[in-house]
Amino acid sequence: MAQALLKATDIQKSFAGVQALKNVSLEIMPGEIHCLAGENGCGKSTLIKIISGVYQRDGGTLEFDGKTMDKFTPIDAITNGIQVIYQDFSVFPNLTVMENLAFNTELAAKRRIVSKKRMRQIAEEAVAKINFQVDLDALVGTLSVAEKQMVAISRALMFNAKLIIMDEPTTALTKKEVQALFDIILKLKEQGIAILFVSHKLDEVFEISERFTIFRSGELVVTGSTKDLDDKKFTFYMTGREFNDKTFVAENLTEQPILETRNLTLDGHFQDISLKLYGGEILGITGLLDSGRTELALSLFGIRPATGGAILRNGQEISIKTPQDAMKQKIGLVPEDRLSEGLFLPQSIADNIIIAEIEQLKTPMGIFDRKKRQEEVDHWVKEMALATPDANNASSTLSGGNQQRIVLAKWLACHPEVLILSGPTVGVDIGSKHDIHAILQQLARKTGMGIIIISDDLPEVLENCSRVLILKDGRIVHEAPTQEIDEKTIVSYMM
Amino acid sequence: MKKLIALLLAATMVFSMAACSSGETAKDDTQDTSNTGDTTGTGETTGGEDWEIVVVPKDSSNPWFVRMNVGVEEYAEETGVNCYQKGTDQIDATLQAQLVQDLIAQDVDAICVVPVDIQSLDPILKEAKDAGIVVITHEGADLQNVDYDIEAFSNAGYGQFIMDNLAAAMGEEGVYTTMVASLTNGSHNEWADAAVEYQKTAYPNMTLLEAQPRVESNDNGDTAYNVAKELFKTYPELKGIMGTSSFDAPGVARAIQELGLRDKAFTTGTGMPADNAALLKDGVIKSLTLWDPAEAGKAMVSLALKVLNGEEVAAPLNLGIEGYDAMTFREGSTTVLEGQGWITIDAENVDSFGF
Amino acid sequence: MQKSIKKIFGRTEFYVFALLVVLSVLIQFRSGGQFYTANNLVDIASALIVPGIFAVGTFMVIVSGGFDVSFPALASLSVYATTKFMLNIDYSGGILLPLLMVIAIGALLGAFNGFFVGYLNLNAMIVTLGASSVFKGIMQGALNSKQLAVIPEGMRAFGTSALFTATNSQSGLTSRMPMAFLVFVAVVILAWFLLNRTYFGRGIYALGGNPASAKAAGFNVKRTKFIMFILVGMISAVAGFIRVCMMQQCHPTNMLGMEMNIIAGVVLGGAAITGGAGTLLGCILGTLLIVMVENSMILLGVPTTWKSVFVGALIVIGTGVSALQVLRANRSASRARTMTKEGAK
Repeated sequence: MAQALLKATDIQKSFAGVQALKNVSLEIMPGEIHCLAGENGCGKSTLIKIISGVYQRDGGTLEFDGKTMDKFTPIDAITNGIQVIYQDFSVFPNLTVMENLAFNTELAAKRRIVSKKRMRQIAEEAVAKINFQVDLDALVGTLSVAEKQMVAISRALMFNAKLIIMDEPTTALTKKEVQALFDIILKLKEQGIAILFVSHKLDEVFEISERFTIFRSGELVVTGSTKDLDDKKFTFYMTGREFNDKTFVAENLTEQPILETRNLTLDGHFQDISLKLYGGEILGITGLLDSGRTELALSLFGIRPATGGAILRNGQEISIKTPQDAMKQKIGLVPEDRLSEGLFLPQSIADNIIIAEIEQLKTPMGIFDRKKRQEEVDHWVKEMALATPDANNASSTLSGGNQQRIVLAKWLACHPEVLILSGPTVGVDIGSKHDIHAILQQLARKTGMGIIIISDDLPEVLENCSRVLILKDGRIVHEAPTQEIDEKTIVSYMM
Repeated sequence: MKKLIALLLAATMVFSMAACSSGETAKDDTQDTSNTGDTTGTGETTGGEDWEIVVVPKDSSNPWFVRMNVGVEEYAEETGVNCYQKGTDQIDATLQAQLVQDLIAQDVDAICVVPVDIQSLDPILKEAKDAGIVVITHEGADLQNVDYDIEAFSNAGYGQFIMDNLAAAMGEEGVYTTMVASLTNGSHNEWADAAVEYQKTAYPNMTLLEAQPRVESNDNGDTAYNVAKELFKTYPELKGIMGTSSFDAPGVARAIQELGLRDKAFTTGTGMPADNAALLKDGVIKSLTLWDPAEAGKAMVSLALKVLNGEEVAAPLNLGIEGYDAMTFREGSTTVLEGQGWITIDAENVDSFGF
Repeated sequence: MQKSIKKIFGRTEFYVFALLVVLSVLIQFRSGGQFYTANNLVDIASALIVPGIFAVGTFMVIVSGGFDVSFPALASLSVYATTKFMLNIDYSGGILLPLLMVIAIGALLGAFNGFFVGYLNLNAMIVTLGASSVFKGIMQGALNSKQLAVIPEGMRAFGTSALFTATNSQSGLTSRMPMAFLVFVAVVILAWFLLNRTYFGRGIYALGGNPASAKAAGFNVKRTKFIMFILVGMISAVAGFIRVCMMQQCHPTNMLGMEMNIIAGVVLGGAAITGGAGTLLGCILGTLLIVMVENSMILLGVPTTWKSVFVGALIVIGTGVSALQVLRANRSASRARTMTKEGAK
C-alpha cells in the first residue's frame, strides 16, 4: 500500500476545558476521495482547522506528504499543498472573478502593484484547469452559488494542491450542480489530488467517496471503505442510535376533507390544482424546482394569494389573502428557508416558540403573561427535545436540526389543524431528520392533524406520506398512494 | 486586554468632554462680551479710598479679560480707589465659585463678577450678599442675587449702531441684506431686526434685499464667505451686508476682495480687533463694531462704589464713563442696567486694544 | 457594446452625474444664467477642494467596511497645533515645513485610530467617536485653543495664490482658482492609484467585501487597517491645512460637524455603507453634488429658512435611492439563493 498523503494520529484539541477532539486519527491516501461525516458539533470542523493550520493541536502527530507538520500557519498549509474550501467559499462578492482568483498568488509573491494583465493570465490559467467558463470581469456577487464554488475550486487548484478539503460543498447546490461538482472532483482525482469531502448526506457519501470516516462527539467512530457501508449502519454511526423507521400509514382519517382546493390557480406558477386533505393523513407533494410546488404552499398560507379557484376548509369556502387569514383558519406553514422566513435568529429560542401564539399569552387585562409564557416554552422544549441548556439563548446558537424543531414548535404551539411543511428537513442532520419525521407521523396519528409535506426528497415523501401528488409545470400530473409507487416512477412523472 | 483599553478609552473621553465644555465657554466669552464707550472715562465719584472692590473675570489669561484688567487698573490709578482684578487661571465655574467664596471670607466690600456659570454662581452670590458685600455683575442678567447687573447696551441699540456703521460705509444708499449665525440665534436676530427697522426711518435711500433679507453664516467664516459670494453673484445690485456674529464681516470681506468688489460692496458687523486688523488696514472693511471690556470693568467698579457710598441708583444713571453715562433699566427689570457702550473699530484704533 | 451601455446605466455614478446635470440646468435657469459662468464654476471648484479631500479619506474607510467620524476633529487638531507652533517660532518660511508637520501630526492621530481599529479589532465607528472627543479635548484642554486670527505668511500666501482668475464678462465679478486645487487633484490621483493599482488598496476593498476571506487570501488585515487610518489621518490633515490657508485664519472648532455632509456625499456617490463597493469617481461626484447644492441655494432662490430642508431632502433622497439599489440587488441575490436551495439535496 502506498504511503498515506495525510496521516493524523491521536489528535487532541480542547477549547476552554471542553474536549472537542479526543484522540482522533485520519488517514488519506494520495488521489483518494475520502468522506468525513458526522453530525453537527462532532469535531469535523475542528479537525479541518487543525489540518489547515488555523488551530494548533494540543496533542497527537500530523504528517503530510511525508513531512511532520508542527506549529504551522494557514500559509504554511497552503504552501504544502493543503487547500480548504469553506462553505462560504471565502470569496469577495464585491470584486471580480479575476481578482478573486489572482489575489492569493499575487500576495504570496509579495506583489505591491496591481497588473491587470498578470492577473488575467493567472485567472485564465486557473479556470482552464477545471474547464470553467466564466466572465472574468463579472463581480463574484452576481454569480450563482455553484459558480462561486467553481471560483473557489479554481483558486484552490492554483497552489499545486495535493489535498483539497471541501466543507459541506453541496449544501446550496441544485442536483444538477452537485453532479457537475462530482464530475470535477473525479477529474481532480485523476490528476492525483486527494479530496476530503465533509458531508452528512448519505447519498453523497455513497456516490462519491471511496473511503469514509465518521466522528461522533469528538471521537472517531469508524473508518473504512464505503463499499461496506449501508444506510442503516451510516445512520447508526452518525447518531449512535437505532431508528426503526416505519412507513407512515394513515389511521382514523376524517370522513370529510379538512382542506380542499378546487382549480386553484396562481398565474404563472400553477393552474387548476384540485386536492383534498383529510384529517389524520400526511399528503406529499413533489415536483421539480419550477413545478410550482413552493408557490402552492405560499398560496395556501396567504403569502402569495391564489389568483383563481377556491379553497375550502371543512367543506366551507374560505378566502385566504394574508397569512393572518390562514392562521385564523388554523393553517400553519413551516417555510423552506427557515433562516430567512421562519426564525428570528438573534432572538431567544423561547421568543421564537411563542411568537405565533403571542395573542393567547395575555392575561384578561391584556398584559403579557410571563408565567404562561414560561410554561409554554418549557413544554415545547421538552416536547421537541431541543438540545439547549437555556431557552433564553439566541436561536442562532442551535444546529440546523434544532432550529427546524423550533419552527415546528412555534406552529404547533398555535394548535393548527392543517400544517404545511416545505422541505422540512433541508440542511438538517440525520438524527434530527428522523426525529422530525417521527414527530410528524405522531401528530397525524394522534391529533388528527392534516399535514402536507412539500419536498423533493423522495425517500422522505415515500416514508412519511400516505399519498403523493406529483406536480409538473404547475399542474398535477399524477396522484397515488405511496405504497403503490416507487422513486423511479415518481421521477418519470416529474421529468 | 480589550476591556482594559475600552475602559481607558472611555475615561479619556470623559476627560476630554470636560475639557471641551470648558473650552466652549472660553469661546463664548470672547464673542459676546459687552463693551464700553471710549478709552477715556474717569471716575467722578470719590471718597471711597477705604473700600476694597474686587473684579472677578471668567479667567485671567484670556485677552478679553486682560483688556478688562487694563480698565480696572486705570480706574484705580485715576481715582485712587482700592480696586483690582483677580481671576482664575482657566475658565472653570467651580474655580470661580471657590474664588468668590475666598473673597467673601476675606470680607471685601464689593465683588464685581463676570459669571462663568449662572446657576452654580447664584447661590454663592447669595452668601456674599448675606455677608453684606455689594455684588455687581456683567453679562449676568439672569442672576438673582445681585445688587445690579451691567450690560454694555440693549440689543436694539446695538443693532442701530451697526446700521449706522453700514450706512456710513455705503454712503447711506443702496441695497443691503443682513447675516446672522442662524435664524434661531436670539440676540443676532434682535440686532438685525432693530437695524432694519431703524434703517427705514434713518436711511430712507437704503433698501433691504427682499429676495434674501436674512442669510446664515453658521458662525463659520467659510460659510459667510461662500454665502456672500453667492449673494453678490445672484444680486448684482447688492451693495452691503450687515454682519452680526464675529465671523460674518471677515468672511464677507474675503468674498468682496476676491470678487473684485472693493469699494463697490461693503460690510460691517461685530469683530475682534486683532482678528481683523489686516482687513481693516487693507480697507476692504471700513469699520467694525464692538464693546470694550476695559470700559465695562470700569463701569462695574464705579457702580459698586456708588452703591457702597449709598448713592441713589436711578435711570438715567451716569457712571462717568463714556457709553455708561446714561444707563437705563432693561424693560421690566430693576437690576439690569443697559448702557450705550458700543465702540467702532477702524484702521486707526485697531491696534490699541491688545486683543 | 450594448452590454457596456447597460453597465453605465446600472451604475450609481451615472445617476449622480445625471442629477448634477439636471440640477445645474435648473440653477442656470433660475439664476438668470449665473451657473454656467466662468467665475461661478471656479467658485464651486474652489468650494469642493476641502470637502473633496475629506471625502477621499472617508471613502477609503467606508470601503473598508468602517466609519470614520473623527476626521474633522483630527484635521482641526493637526492644523491648529501646526499653526500655533509656527506662530510661536515666528516661522516665516514657505509652505513646505508646515505642510510636512501637519501631515506628520495627522499620521500620528490616524495611527491612534488605526491601532484601536486594526490591532485591537474594535468597531471603527465607536473608536472614531471616542477619538473625536479625545482630539477635541487635547485641542481645547491642552492647547487651550482659540481662534488664531493671523496665520504664518507662507500659509497665507499659499491659501491666496491663484492658478488663474476667472472673470465674469457680464458682471465683471472675479473668482480665484486656488493653487490648492492642485493638491486636491493630486490627492485624488494618488488615492485612485492606491485603491486600484496596489494590493494595499485592493486589500481595502477585499476587507470591505469579506474580512475573513481577506485574511485567508493573505492580506494582512490588521496592518492594512492600521496603515489605512494613518493615510486617512494624513489626507484629513491636509484638507484641514488647506482650509486654514484659504480662510487665512485658524478656527479650532468650525470644521467640526462637517462629517455628516461628507459621509452623506460619499454614500450618495455609491459607496456601500456595508463596505467593499464604490468608486472614487462616485465619491467625488457625490461630494460635488452636496457642495453644489450647499452653494447654490441663493442662486436657486431658495429662502434661507428652507435651505436646510432642501439640503437634507437631497441627502435623504440621494442616499435612499442608492440604498434602494442595494436592497434590490440583495433581493435578487436572495431569490437566486432560495432557488438554488430548493433544488439542493
